[in-house]
Amino acid sequence: MKYRYQSGFVIYEVVLERRGESYRVTIDGQVYDVEVLNAETGALSLRLSDPTGSVRSHVVYWAAEGGVKWLSSHGCTYRLERPTPRRSRSARGAAPEDSLRAPMPARVRAVQVAEGDAVEAGQTLLLLEAMKMEIRLQAPRAGRVARLLASTGETVEREQVLVELESEQ
Amino acid sequence: MFSKILIANRGEIAVRVIRACRELGIASVAVYSEADRRALHTRLADEALEIGPAAANESYLNIERILDAARQTGAQAIHPGYGFLAENASFARAVGQAGLVFIGPPAEAIEGMGNKAAARTHMQAAGVPVVPGWQGEDDEGSLRRAAADIGYPVIVKAAAGGGGKGMRVARRPQDLGEALAASRREARAAFGDERLILERYVAQAHHVEFQVLADGHGNVLHLFERECSIQRRHQKIIEETPSPLLDAGLREQMGAAAVAAARAAAYQNAGTVEFIVDPQTRQFYFLEMNTRLQVEHPITEMVVGLDLAQWQIRIAAGERLPFRQQDLAQRGHAIECRLYAEDPSHRFLPAVGRLLRFVEPKGPGVRLDTGVTTGDEVSVYYDPLIAKLIVQAEDRPAAIRRMLAALSETVLLGITTNWQFLQDVLSHPDFVQGKAHTTWIDEEFTAWQAPLCELPPEVLVAAALAEAQILQGAQPVLPSDKARPASGDRYSPWRLSNHFRLGE
Repeated sequence: MKYRYQSGFVIYEVVLERRGESYRVTIDGQVYDVEVLNAETGALSLRLSDPTGSVRSHVVYWAAEGGVKWLSSHGCTYRLERPTPRRSRSARGAAPEDSLRAPMPARVRAVQVAEGDAVEAGQTLLLLEAMKMEIRLQAPRAGRVARLLASTGETVEREQVLVELESEQ
Repeated sequence: MFSKILIANRGEIAVRVIRACRELGIASVAVYSEADRRALHTRLADEALEIGPAAANESYLNIERILDAARQTGAQAIHPGYGFLAENASFARAVGQAGLVFIGPPAEAIEGMGNKAAARTHMQAAGVPVVPGWQGEDDEGSLRRAAADIGYPVIVKAAAGGGGKGMRVARRPQDLGEALAASRREARAAFGDERLILERYVAQAHHVEFQVLADGHGNVLHLFERECSIQRRHQKIIEETPSPLLDAGLREQMGAAAVAAARAAAYQNAGTVEFIVDPQTRQFYFLEMNTRLQVEHPITEMVVGLDLAQWQIRIAAGERLPFRQQDLAQRGHAIECRLYAEDPSHRFLPAVGRLLRFVEPKGPGVRLDTGVTTGDEVSVYYDPLIAKLIVQAEDRPAAIRRMLAALSETVLLGITTNWQFLQDVLSHPDFVQGKAHTTWIDEEFTAWQAPLCELPPEVLVAAALAEAQILQGAQPVLPSDKARPASGDRYSPWRLSNHFRLGE
């Protein structure tokens, strides 16, 4: 079975094969032999042999909600998502988001740009209000406003797209 | 002793007090808003009542509803926790007038210490050193003259204020006008009171506070200090005790000053006297007094070996403190880290969501105080504190190692937290050397970004296995010899395949 995950702007391809009582997992061409030592809902105890032959044990905690998987291993937390068509176009390496989203449920206090406006990196595009705080939605890069998807007085949800910038060429 | 107490609060402090009640054999009553219907504190208390909608004004800040709940359940005393109504003198009075006991100081003490200007005057009269300052006429002319007397830089503060609001630093005389105007605006908006005071601004000050405990029989003690200089925009993140800055002499002087401050305020029950310490001159100055139990009280409990929440209850029930100042000592070193649901890479904005998985760390000297468990919702209505992770060890380096290990064992899935930020702060050389002061975080970590972690293979393997597990509704394959790798014991009874009967 093949799975694809996105973390940040990087996409990983994982192939899972059952081999008798263990698994063979291929990640972007690297092959690992995996034994599951214990499995409960939300916690997997694994023994991995990597391509160099070294063997390590890991306990990985996991939880999923919607299309997002949260995982924790050796004290670090990771977030994986299903690759979205738009994001998969921007391959490896960081690329600024063209869609600016609300960081939390909020009310739009003011819209400070119009469609077609040129904006600078760091320029405040919208003012939001939540939990008695004023939150400024700022442009991550210089560009032009392609679409405004929110208006003054509107209540928006977390992750809701509020402004779209024209994509860089 | 009381037979039933109502806890007028929520989250981790409500859980803390409920636990103290349980150990003392006292029935506990929890109150909750609609948003907290399934919260941990409601499940742990003996009784729980809904008191209103999510907005704090209509629930946790609603004095009438809380008193009704107490009357309805027959509670004899009310513990206010911290925040909400804990330092509200009107609430303390109303509780008394309703024939109940307020677990905290007298209303007059709350009032006396609640106003910064009045508190300063009080402390000066008691011989407690205060930051050179001015709390008189606050027209521009008087303030300008006072600032010249105090000496620049000065800090302008709202007289009725707190929490970092209404504060501005003026480094030179020409900056004063703007600082006064800005502070007045903020003070008016936040507290409805635009009166201002001035204080000398101590650069790179350390915030060192002393825990005090006073019974109703005239005994006032201090339980030593807490170093609280790791703050981001006046919000504490990491606290520790003993303070790396203090030596025995300074500790004794400050402890005596804290006791004098508490006596001057006619204080009873648990409280905290806050000082700032100038690391250059090693002068200390009274800053303010908090007339409640503080968030960071566990580190004092760990090194002094006393249960402060229980002592609050016992003092309120009329008990006399059985120990004297000379009986108390600090043992080892304790650190507390506050785990917040916030995203340090995005200006520390609160991160709401559902806590999909919460695995608490364990081990010697590891303590976790929390108000949430797996499955709980972290909502927008209340502050984003998820848990306090506290460790105690033999000395400061051991405590730092223990905290880093405990943080790495803590699993919080489903929300973004500041765990990575905490680790970076704890590992920073300035922190390790005890040099961090109150503006250190704001200066040193301005451009902090979470490091881009290379995704390790076992995480991707686990993600795929978990998905296969869910989609196919099957358990992953385990090796047929199900002996755990750790158990290589040939004589283990679990390996016997013959019959044996238990209990014969």
